[in-house]
Formats: sequence, structure tokens, C-alpha cells
Amino acid sequence: MQDEKFSPKDSLQLIDNMINQAKNRFSENGFLYLMWGWLVLFCSIAHFILLKLNLIKHPEIIWVSCWLAAIFQVVYLSRRKKKGNVKTYSENIINFVWVNFGVCMLIISIIVAKSNNWEIINSLVLLLYGTPTFLSGIAMQFKPLVIGGIICWCLAILSVFIAPMYILLLLSAAVISAWIIPGYILRKKYNQQNKS
Amino acid sequence: MEFKELDPILHSQLRLAVISLLISVREAEFTFLKEKTNSTAGNLSVQINKLKDAGYLDVTKQFSNNYPQTICKITKKGIEAFESYVNALQSYMKPGAE
Repeated sequence: MQDEKFSPKDSLQLIDNMINQAKNRFSENGFLYLMWGWLVLFCSIAHFILLKLNLIKHPEIIWVSCWLAAIFQVVYLSRRKKKGNVKTYSENIINFVWVNFGVCMLIISIIVAKSNNWEIINSLVLLLYGTPTFLSGIAMQFKPLVIGGIICWCLAILSVFIAPMYILLLLSAAVISAWIIPGYILRKKYNQQNKS
Repeated sequence: MEFKELDPILHSQLRLAVISLLISVREAEFTFLKEKTNSTAGNLSVQINKLKDAGYLDVTKQFSNNYPQTICKITKKGIEAFESYVNALQSYMKPGAE
């Protein structure tokens, strides 16, 4: 970049150009959406099959794998934080939206455990999946996540009208639409940006 | 028509590019600014120091995995200077100003 005299018009052009360069940067590679999407899809289908066929006494044990994934996520995020060469305001907001999601999941688990009303937990989980997905989509201006979030909310309403066992299948549908499909689109966008 | 004076610290292509990038992000590394402004490390370093001396930038040097890292962040004074600069530019862009 030359450091020569330039007109006010050039200045405005340069400001516009630089702000767009920073704004159009796509930092999300979709990895965490895909990891959680596939894990929850596997757990919900496996839980449903175990329950339907009455194979083991406590099929819900399968969800323990999510704790291992959560530990992996903490390590992954701390490594990625060191690699990133820029931090945007929207990334910061999105991170806290997901922290909020984790806290709400924990609190809801405690409330449900205390009230011993386990049948309601999957409807609440569907509702909780929708909020951070929708807000992340808005912050990133990424429609597939916004649509995914809305689908989660619709499935949460639908879950009230069906037998609890089948809500597990709604969970599968929710993660496919809210995390797996947007995750692959994010990955494609990220790879295209890094190629160009 | 009265023209507002343009801040000489910001009225330089590279310094204005750096400030414009930093106004849109929370903080950025030296390597990010170098890549986006397409400038040389030496020139960029000089211009960042000028912005820092004017109080427009906070510059933090640290080590990450044994590599030196320079992180730049715009200050409140920098944001105000940028806003005044854009306001001054607008006075030049009004019809009949040229």
C-alpha cells in the first residue's frame, strides 16, 4: 500500500474496502456443529433403538459420551484461540451465546432431576437447541442456522403431542436441520474462502 | 463552504486502512493487518507505532508457542478520532464542496 496523498473520496473508498474485508471474513469452519450434530444424532437414534427393543436397563447411559465430547471441545477451543489472528465482536457474542446454552442445559438437568419429571427433558432440550442456533445464525448472517433454530422450536411444540419415546427421533431431526446441514455448508464456505 | 481539517495522523493510506480494519474487529494480530493491507512488515510496523504514539491504538506484544505475537486494538481515543475524520470527510463530499 502506497503512502501518498489521496483525496477524501479515496479515503471513503479505502474505509469501505477495509471494513468489508474484515466483515466478510468467515472464521467458522463448522467443525463443532458437525461433531455435536453427529454425536447427538448417534445418541438419540441409539437411545431410541435400545428403548424400543428393551435391550438394556438404562439406555440413557449412552448420553455420557456427550461429557467426553464437552471435554474435547474445551481442549479444541483453547488450541483454536491460540491459532486465530483476529477476534471479531460477533465471534465474542456467539461464544457467550453457547456458554449460556451450556449453563441453561445444566440448570434444566438439575431442575428436571429434582422434580423427577424426565419425560419433559427432551422437549426442553429441543427448545434450548433452537435459541443459540438461531442467535448464532443472526450474528453470522447465516440463514441455514436461523432456519435450523426455527425448526428446533417447531419440533419442541410438536414434541408435546407425541409419545416421549418418539421425541428422541425429533431430536435426530433437530440436529440434522440445525447443526449437521448448516455445519457442512459452513465448512464448504470456510474452505472456499481459504482457497481464494 | 467551510471544510473541516482532516486529522493528519489518519489521512495516510496505510494508517487509515489499519484503523478501518480495527474499527470492525475486537482485536487483530500484526499478521492479519499485514495480509489485509498488503503492506510490508517494516512500513506497517512504523505506521502502527505512529498510531500508538497518538494514543489511537493499544499494542500488546506476547509470545504464543514460542513465536512473538503483536496484537493491536483500537482505543476509545482512536474511535473518536476515526468518527471525527469520517465527519470531516463528509463535509468534503457534500454537493458543491468540490
